[in-house]
Amino acid sequence: MFFGGKKQNKFEGGGLVLFQVVEEAIASEKILKAAQFEVKLVAPPPALRKGCDLAVEFNIVEKAGVERTLIQKDAHFVDILPLKGAGELLDIVKVKDFNDACMVKAGNMKLTFDKKTGVILNISGGGCPDIPFLHLSMVDKKITEVARPKDNGHTLCALMLDRAFVEAWEIFSKGAS
Amino acid sequence: MLLICGTIPQEGAALITGEAKFDGSKLFVGNTEIPCTQGTAALASAACVVAAHFQIPAPQAVFAGDTGAGKGSRLLYDYLIKNLPRINPDILLMHYILPVMGLMKQVCAAADKCTKRPVMMADASSMYAAKAAGLAPQFDIFTPDLSEMEFLADAEAIHPAYISRHLFRAEIAHIDKLIDAAYRQKSMAKTVIVKGAIDHVVQEGKIKFTLSEPDLPALEAIGGTGDTISGMVGAFIDVGLTPLDAAVAALKANREAGRYAQATPATKIREIISAIPQALKHD
Repeated sequence: MFFGGKKQNKFEGGGLVLFQVVEEAIASEKILKAAQFEVKLVAPPPALRKGCDLAVEFNIVEKAGVERTLIQKDAHFVDILPLKGAGELLDIVKVKDFNDACMVKAGNMKLTFDKKTGVILNISGGGCPDIPFLHLSMVDKKITEVARPKDNGHTLCALMLDRAFVEAWEIFSKGAS
Repeated sequence: MLLICGTIPQEGAALITGEAKFDGSKLFVGNTEIPCTQGTAALASAACVVAAHFQIPAPQAVFAGDTGAGKGSRLLYDYLIKNLPRINPDILLMHYILPVMGLMKQVCAAADKCTKRPVMMADASSMYAAKAAGLAPQFDIFTPDLSEMEFLADAEAIHPAYISRHLFRAEIAHIDKLIDAAYRQKSMAKTVIVKGAIDHVVQEGKIKFTLSEPDLPALEAIGGTGDTISGMVGAFIDVGLTPLDAAVAALKANREAGRYAQATPATKIREIISAIPQALKHD
């Protein structure tokens, strides 16, 4: 049961940041609020508990942004988890060959690059609002010359795109060497 | 009236509202030019093309700048919650908006206050929010791709990034099982259009239509080819088609547009959209 009665518990974020000690949880809540994330201090369910009995609930879709903000502010945390479902991000990557191009698929995200030049030809899939922004920032640029999606993105789609990007980067680097 | 609601990849979160117009290469909402890229801009552009072809009023758009931090998305939710009963659209098509389950519930409650409940469509992250919040049965149309169909089939998943590994491995051979699982869990809208190498249209848990020709594998790589389908479905419904007929028409037009554009993995979505008029004339 989360902190607060029914009247207070309107926020359904679906994600938890877990901490070793209560003070870290309180400090992190302040950091995230200052960065304008919608967050709430809660008691983690027993099945997910690691460390202390206070956690920060947040919108799990914003995992990339929350994690980056905490790291930038030197906040200490134990783990970041979804409240339901698989505890780990999907880590299966699939590759499709298009002769001159290669498409790498990670979860719902796909990145396609030119095998000779390394230029990112297209990014498809996904649905979170940072994906069109990342598409504009990355497409038609060389894969070795753009920032990783997780450095500029905010959402779970950006993290999946990052997985596709890393795999594509490795495939291109091996082919070029 | 078709109302399209979504974010565009611009810094600054101001709302942009008005009639959407696509001039063959550029999208405008009111007097604001929107880059015709993957996402809600591609969706709206495709809807405009269909509306122009059938000479019906252009879609209305509510856009907000959002590069992922969510400010623009929250403006959109707020706008819909406050104004949906007044706008009273025939079709509400929600697209790239940061999923916030509580706010999506309020949007659905606002839709209930319309004189006639709009045809409720959700694609991309709006579909994620609707499913995660347990609102799927309140929606008339979802337009997932295959990985998003796996997400709908996973009872616990609140985003496609967290689906079970065994579901992601299932792929097309088990799509009937994915549909069955999602339907039993009430994670399906009334009509679900699964976009992929083989397109499926599903109603009440049953596959009503499939399409695999012309076979253009490159379409999967092109960012925005799912968005154009969703936009065309919304516009075809505005023309007066049933959801099933609208889905069939949009899926056929999208593949034909890919064929006319001679799609390769390097093709950009604006090239596909520019070929939609030709595909509609062909049909």
